[in-house]
Amino acid sequence: MDFDPTPFNFAAAGINWLLIVGVCLGLMTVVSLLVMAGSRGTRGLTMWTDEVGLMASDLVSLSPRRIFALSQLTFREAIRRRALLVFVVFGILFMFAGWFLSASTLAPEFQVKVYVTFVLRAISWLILPVVLLLSCWGLPEDIKQRSLHTVVTKPARRLEIVLGRMFGFAFVGTIVLVVMAVVGGFWIKRQLPAVAQEQLTCRKPVFGYLAFKDREGNDAAKGINVGDIWEFHSYIEGATKARAIWTFINLDASVLDSDGNLRLENRFQAFRSHKGDMKRALYYQYVLVNPQTGLRVPIPLKTVNEFRGRTDIIPRKLGKVAEASPAAADEAETAAAYDLIDDLVSKEAVVDPETKNVIYPAGTMLVEVLCIDPGQYLGMARPDLFIRTPDLSFWVGYVKAVLGIEMMLILVVVLSVTASTFVKGPVATLLTFCLVIIGQTAREFMAKIVNNEEAGGGVFESIYRLVKHMNPTTDLPEGTATTVMRFVDSALVNLMWLVYNIIPDFSFFTRSLSYLSNGFDVNVATAVYPGLAITLGYFIPCVLLGYFCLRTRELEAK
Amino acid sequence: MSTSGASREAVIEIRNLSKIYRDFWGRKKVRALNSLSLDVYKGEVFGLLGPNGSGKTTTLKLLLGLLFPTEGEISILGEPASNVSKNERIGYLPEESYLYRFLNAEETLDFYGRLFDMPASVRKERTEKLLDLVKISHARKRQLKEYSKGMTRRIGLAQALINDPDLVLLDEPTSGLDPLGNRDMKDLILDLKKQGKTILMCSHLLADVQDVCDRIAILYGGELKVLGRVEDLLKSQNQTQILSSQLTPAALAEVEAVLKKHDASFQVDHPTASLEELFLRTVQESKERPGHRLVTPDSKSQAG
Ligand SMILES: Nc1ncnc2c1ncn2[C@@H]1O[C@H](COP(=O)(O)OP(=O)(O)OP(=O)(O)O)[C@@H](O)[C@H]1O
Ligand SMILES: [Mg+2]
Repeated sequence: MDFDPTPFNFAAAGINWLLIVGVCLGLMTVVSLLVMAGSRGTRGLTMWTDEVGLMASDLVSLSPRRIFALSQLTFREAIRRRALLVFVVFGILFMFAGWFLSASTLAPEFQVKVYVTFVLRAISWLILPVVLLLSCWGLPEDIKQRSLHTVVTKPARRLEIVLGRMFGFAFVGTIVLVVMAVVGGFWIKRQLPAVAQEQLTCRKPVFGYLAFKDREGNDAAKGINVGDIWEFHSYIEGATKARAIWTFINLDASVLDSDGNLRLENRFQAFRSHKGDMKRALYYQYVLVNPQTGLRVPIPLKTVNEFRGRTDIIPRKLGKVAEASPAAADEAETAAAYDLIDDLVSKEAVVDPETKNVIYPAGTMLVEVLCIDPGQYLGMARPDLFIRTPDLSFWVGYVKAVLGIEMMLILVVVLSVTASTFVKGPVATLLTFCLVIIGQTAREFMAKIVNNEEAGGGVFESIYRLVKHMNPTTDLPEGTATTVMRFVDSALVNLMWLVYNIIPDFSFFTRSLSYLSNGFDVNVATAVYPGLAITLGYFIPCVLLGYFCLRTRELEAK
Repeated sequence: MSTSGASREAVIEIRNLSKIYRDFWGRKKVRALNSLSLDVYKGEVFGLLGPNGSGKTTTLKLLLGLLFPTEGEISILGEPASNVSKNERIGYLPEESYLYRFLNAEETLDFYGRLFDMPASVRKERTEKLLDLVKISHARKRQLKEYSKGMTRRIGLAQALINDPDLVLLDEPTSGLDPLGNRDMKDLILDLKKQGKTILMCSHLLADVQDVCDRIAILYGGELKVLGRVEDLLKSQNQTQILSSQLTPAALAEVEAVLKKHDASFQVDHPTASLEELFLRTVQESKERPGHRLVTPDSKSQAG
C-alpha cells in the first residue's frame, strides 16, 4: 500500500482530455465529411452542414422534463422486468459467505480486512455485470421492439434518449448499490467478532519525513541494512547513537485525540543479532524534540509489537525520564513539566543562518526513535511511524469506498449505453466488458508500448525480429525497408496512444478500498474526485458519440 | 370544393422519393419506393392504398425521419424530415402500436405527454379526454401487455392524439378494431377533419377509405399508380347514366330543360364503380404493364 496517495493532477488530466476529445472530434469530422462527399458529392456537403446545424439545435433545445420522463421510463422498465432479482443472488451470497469467511484465527485487523474487502468486492463484482447487461440491452431491445419508434416520432431528441437511458440505468444501479451497501454494512457489523469491532475505524495519519543518525551520531540518509534483499526498511542499532528521526510539520492541538493525548502509531520491526532477553520484546524510546528551542523530552520505554504494530498514547502533559537508558522502563517520570504542543512544537521557523533557507518551518516537532537493547536492531521505513489524529468513523470511509464504486458504475453505464447506440445487445456487452477488463488490467502494458519502453520495437519490427530470430536489442540494418517499417510502427503507436487514452483507468475507483480495508482514511480528493473526474470526462464525449450514432442510423435496421 | 385556393397549401411535399433497403454490408435488398412524388394538402384526408409490401409504411417512416431516403426530398409541415421539432405538431399511429408494454394506459399517455413537454395539469386533462375518446377508461390501470389487440390499437390512437396534432399519420388505423371501433375510428377521422387537421392514412380496408378519404393514392411495388379525388376516380369517364328509367340521350336535354323549367329536383350522374373494383383493376393492370402510370385528372395537374 502506498501511504501517500499520488495526488490526481486535475489540470494535466483536463488538458489531456481536451487533447483526446479534440483529436476524436477532428477524426470524426474528417471521416464523416469524406463519407458524405464521397457518396453524394457536393450535395453531400450541404447535407453535412444541414445535419450539423440540426444537431447543434438539438443540443440547445434539451428539455429536463423529457429527460426525466425517459429516465423514469428506463427505471420502471428495469423494475417491472424484474431486473433487480440480483438482490436475491446478493442475499444468498451473504447468507452463506459467513461460513467461509470465519477468519477468527486471524488478528482482528486482518479479520476487518477480510470482511471489508469481501463485502466491497462482492458488491462491485455483482453490480457491475448487472448494470452492464441492463444498459447494453436496453436501447437495442427498444429498437428491436420498435417502441423507440413511438418515442422518436415525438419531439424527444435522440440526445435526450441517450441521456435518459444513462440517467435511468445509473439510478437503477445506484439504488441497487445503496441497498447492497447498507446490507453489506450491517453484515460487516454483525458478522465481525467482538474483538475485531474496535478495529473498524478510519485512521487519519499524519506522516513525517524520515532521516537517520548512524551509530556515531552523524547524519545519514539511511540506517543499516541487516541483509534484507528488499531494502525498504532501514535499521538502527541498539545502545548506540543511531537514531531514526521523523520530522512532523504543520502540527497544532488538532492532531491530539479527544482526550488530548498524542497518539503515535508505529510498526517497527525487530532484528535480533543475539538472543538477548527472550522474555520481552525489544525496547525502544521516543524522544520528542523542539527544533527551535532544542528542548528534548524522552518518553518512557515501550516494547516493539512486531508485525502488528502498536499505538502509543503520549499525554499532552509530559514529565521526563532518562534518555537512552534501560532504566527508563521502570523509573517513574518526573512531575508533568512540559506541554506537548506549547513546548515541543516550534513556534517560529528555523532558518539556516548562512543560506537563509528554512530548515524547519513553524509548527514542527521531531520524533527521535532509538533502540535500547545493545546488539539488537530496530527496523523502520517512512510510513512505519505516524501521528494518528482523531479517527473518523469507519462508515465515513465505507461511504467513500461505496462512492468510488458508484462512480465506476456510472462509467460502466455510460460506456454501455454508448456502445448500445451503434451495436446490438450482445456486441455492446462484449465491447463494454472488454473495455472494463482492459481498463482494469492491461493499461500498464499499453503504457509501456505507447512510451516505447518495450524492447524490440513496434508491431512490424518485432514480427521481423521474430522471423529473423533476432535479439530484441540488436540493431536493425539501416535502409529504406527499416525506415518504412519504423514509420508504420510509429503510426501504429500513435493509434495505440489514442486507444490507450480512450480506455478508462478503472484503478482510480477502487483506490479507497485498500485504504479502508487497512483501517485508514483517505481524503475525498483522492478517494472520490478522481473517479468523478474520470466519469465526467467520459460522460461528455460518450453522450455526444451516442447521440451522433443514434441520430445517423435508421432505427429500422435490424 | 375542397380544392379552393386556401386549402391547397401543401402540408406534405414528397419529390422523387426513393428508398432502397440495404443489409448490413450495404448490399441492396429491396427497392421499396421508386420516385414517388405527391402532395398532401392542408385539411384533407388522404388515403395511401396499395397491396401488402407496396411501400405505404415505408413512405410514412420516411416522412417521420425514421428512415432516411435513398433519393429525393421530403418537406413535412415546411421542415425537412430529419428535423425533430416538426414532431411537435404531428401525431403518428404506427402499423402496430409499438408501446411500452410494462406501462399502464394512464402512464403511457402521461409519458408521451411529457415528451411534448406538457405541464402536469395539461397532461392529466388530455389523458382523461383521450381515454374517454378511445373508450378504454375502464382499463386505465392495467399494463398494456394484458391488452387485447383492439385495445392496444385504441391506446395507440390515443397516444397519437396526445399533442392535439395538426397532422395525423395513421398506419392502418382500423386494423384489429371491432365493427364498433371501426365506426368510431371513421367518425373520429371525420371529426378531426372538421377541426381542420390534415390526415394521411394507409389502409387496405377500401370501404373505410371510400367513406372518409378526400383523395387517395394507390401504390404498387413502390410506385405511384393512381392519384386523385375519390369521387373523380370512381366515376367512369365514358359513360353517362341517368338515374331515371327509359330516357333516350336526346330526350335528356329536353327532360333537363323541362325539369329546369319546372324547377323540379333531378339527378344526372356518372355511375360509380366501387373502390374495390378500382383497386383490383389497378393492381391487375400494374402487373400486366409494369412501369405504366394510370392517368387521372389530379395526377396530370400534379405532374405539371
Ligand atoms: N426493415 C426492412 N428491411 C428490408 N426490407 C424492408 C424493411 N421494411 C420493409 N421492407 C420491404 O419494403 C417493401 C415495402 O414495405 P412496407 O412495409 O412499406 O409495405 P406496406 O405497403 O406497408 O405493406 P403492408 O400493407 O403489408 O403493411 C416490402 O417489400 C418490404 O419487404
Ligand atoms: Mg404497412
